Amino acid sequence: MATFELYRRSTIGMCLTETLDEMVSNGILSPELAIQVLVQFDKSMTEALESQVKSKVSIKGHLHTYRFCDNVWTFILQDAQFKSDECQETVSRVKIVACDSKLLTQ
Amino acid sequence: MASSTTSNVYIHVIEDVINKVREEFINNGGPGESVLTELQGLWEMKMMQAGAILGPIERSSAPKATPGVTPVHDLNVPYEGTEEYETPTADMLFPPTPLQTPMPTPLPGMAQTPLPGNAQTPLPGTAQTPLPGTADSSLYNIPTGGTPITPNEYSSVNDSGGAPEVKPGPGRPSPYMQPPSPWLNQRPPLDVNVAYVEGREEGERGASHQPMTQDFFMMSAGKRKRDEFASQYPNGGYIPQQDGAGDTISNELKVGQGSNTQHNTTIAGAEMSLQGGRAVSRISQLDGPIPDPYDDVLSTPNIYNYQGVVNEDYNIVNTPAPNDIQAATPAAVTQNDTVDDDEDEPLNEDDDDELDDVDQGEDLNTTHLVLAQFDKVTRTKSRWKCTLKDGIMRINNKDILFNKATGEFEF
Repeated sequence: MATFELYRRSTIGMCLTETLDEMVSNGILSPELAIQVLVQFDKSMTEALESQVKSKVSIKGHLHTYRFCDNVWTFILQDAQFKSDECQETVSRVKIVACDSKLLTQ
Repeated sequence: MASSTTSNVYIHVIEDVINKVREEFINNGGPGESVLTELQGLWEMKMMQAGAILGPIERSSAPKATPGVTPVHDLNVPYEGTEEYETPTADMLFPPTPLQTPMPTPLPGMAQTPLPGNAQTPLPGTAQTPLPGTADSSLYNIPTGGTPITPNEYSSVNDSGGAPEVKPGPGRPSPYMQPPSPWLNQRPPLDVNVAYVEGREEGERGASHQPMTQDFFMMSAGKRKRDEFASQYPNGGYIPQQDGAGDTISNELKVGQGSNTQHNTTIAGAEMSLQGGRAVSRISQLDGPIPDPYDDVLSTPNIYNYQGVVNEDYNIVNTPAPNDIQAATPAAVTQNDTVDDDEDEPLNEDDDDELDDVDQGEDLNTTHLVLAQFDKVTRTKSRWKCTLKDGIMRINNKDILFNKATGEFEF
């Protein structure tokens, strides 16, 4: 089953990647196993986001750049505002990377 | 700081991952439970440092993580067959007695001496740690092309396709049979007590570890254009890239997708037109590697190699072979056309890059990022609307998760 490696760029994904890198560099872990861990992370993260998270967010802003390549949308927004039930954030610049949700369910 | 719910979700994910990979770690010659625990501990520690999860972590069950796990063994202690690090192979193949005598000698200094030159993290001490089985293998001249430490293990993904192989010298019984990797076949059996260092150096000299390792890093960067790993690099450290716009590529240059970001392909295009421009006049271009944390060293040296090797006429347009660099093509085409006409004309090369450059100069913490899946993206005139789902946002140093998101952007 294919996984989105997208979430590896998140904080949690980067922490895992760094940890795995260190361990592989030290030779404690084999690269194949590290990759298996990452793939499992992809699955677990996707599943957790589907089942455990219930919040809704709305995003508004000025679209500076849009790109669609390999079924991945990349937007760069300026002066964006993120609103959710709990909080509201404003940023001057943010990048949004989105993969096609239909690809996973095929 | 993360909210409690985000933190909880992360903790749940970590535990879920660890539990699911536990089998892999324990079965069949895996590194063992302690390595798994260490992984979890380090992961959680990093998360706490990043502020993504709130400690202390309450656990209802399962292995406790101690953030502060001792990562490496003390090298000065003679080899003892500890369960965690010992592969069954080593045990089965090599009776303990003969091991201990020659072991201490190559262990401390010798065994890993060639490594720092080849591996990217030269910790002779820690590099030592991994596998007493490793040291065993080197003792008996297992020509795995060096220890199954980092560099070779990457290539072993393709080459040997499994855990580090231990091949005994001639005459040694091996109940643990594996098909020999190509590395193994190259090396003549050597005397156990002699020339251990040289043998290892020979084995490792030919392999280019740097790009392979970094290719692993690249893969983890999240954009996978090709499924290949390191096997496609023909030369050590040189990743050929093909940009179709206006550059003649000799046929032997295939696109290796080691570096998958569009930035890099743009760079390849820019650099190649730079090459062709040399025939006329030097065109200074500001495109440069835009490295991710894991791309860093990789992009630069490859581009420099590229300049030395590629020598094409930029006027001839080539059809781009791979589909995924077409995004980079238009930029390169533009530059080529401008070069053709008049080098004094403004190249407008800064138009699109400003924001990106600004971003690169900032601390990573301020790079706000949303990673999600999209259900629908539509546009009416300049009004864009999209529906996203299952996303992670990193905004203002905070992690926010969402199940659904709606976006309305004005272009």
